[in-house]
Amino acid sequence: MSSSRERILDAAVVRIASDGIDAVRIARIAMDARVSTALVHYHFATREALLAEALEHSFATAGEVRDGTGDPVTRLRAMVEQCLPLPGEQERDWVLWVELWLRAVRHPELRPTAAKLYANMHDWFREAIEEGEFGPVDAAAIADRALALIDGFGVRALLGDPAIPLERARDEVWHALAGDLGLRAGTATS
Amino acid sequence: MSPRPTTGHVRRPAILRAAAEVIAERGVIGTRIADIAERADTSAPGVLYWFATKDELLTEALAFADDSFYAELSDELARLDGARARLARIVELWPAEGDAETVLWMELWVRALRDPAVGAARERLDGRWRAAIADVVREGQAAGEFQPVDPDGFALTLGALMDGFAIQLALHDPAVTPERVREHCMALVEERLGREGVADAI
Repeated sequence: MSSSRERILDAAVVRIASDGIDAVRIARIAMDARVSTALVHYHFATREALLAEALEHSFATAGEVRDGTGDPVTRLRAMVEQCLPLPGEQERDWVLWVELWLRAVRHPELRPTAAKLYANMHDWFREAIEEGEFGPVDAAAIADRALALIDGFGVRALLGDPAIPLERARDEVWHALAGDLGLRAGTATS
Repeated sequence: MSPRPTTGHVRRPAILRAAAEVIAERGVIGTRIADIAERADTSAPGVLYWFATKDELLTEALAFADDSFYAELSDELARLDGARARLARIVELWPAEGDAETVLWMELWVRALRDPAVGAARERLDGRWRAAIADVVREGQAAGEFQPVDPDGFALTLGALMDGFAIQLALHDPAVTPERVREHCMALVEERLGREGVADAI
């Protein structure tokens, strides 16, 4: 069922997260994906292309599986949860995300990928806020702030900052978001 | 006698300035010690006398850049009246430092993912920044200008918000402008610290 291209991307996500985009060996990814090194080079001409596609691949899979429904508050809380570096796949995605920031600053050809991923996240939050009918709020501005807080707190949680464990990151982001939506923080966190 | 450079006190800052420039341009991986030496007008052994590794050059270069930033910041803040104006200045100065500083921070994060020594340096640098914000909050509280919220907690949140936006600015995200970032940051100041703000903290 999975194509060789998908297997390459699955392997790339794991290897880039463990070794870093600069140090990762293409031959190793090929071995994990059970394809030839030439085929990896055929699909992905540069490391930038591989990183960009691996991230998009990882995010696309995540979105399909986890986009649950429920009441608007529960949904938004779940979305915040999905955006933080929880152990496992999300932590791996986060490592790639941090690698992407750095790589995209130096390689402008990666910036459209970064901009697209941010725009997707922004729309995802904005729509959930609008659909939640929280009253007259500026959904776009609230989404901007939530994403900035997720990145700022998330990267510290990822790096094991003792001042910002995951629970703290989650509470801080949710506290700000709940305030923006006019929810009472007490009921919203229960 | 060992071949110690006698102009060391001059050379170390020059090396750190050169390291900040070269690493910002090419990244830790893409930088050779010889590149930094050339930029600093010295030799590779001249660099290695002071710094054993490129990661050490990265963290020390950031600490050095921070020293001048904080010196400038405290001069600037001393000239301003009131904690609110001081926080506004912090917010204004900080993204204005430009892409070079942000990209060095990103290098630091990526290196810290896999190297505990870089992680420890990251923690020291972050701690200094949070303390600078928290100090201004305490001044404001002492003067009755701000609400009595936890200053360190506020510093964490403002720091995180600024960093989150700095990333998007560095990526030249068309949806994010420095003006918008400043508005968001000052909105947080009013919301959490302002006397008129909605008191629903906790």
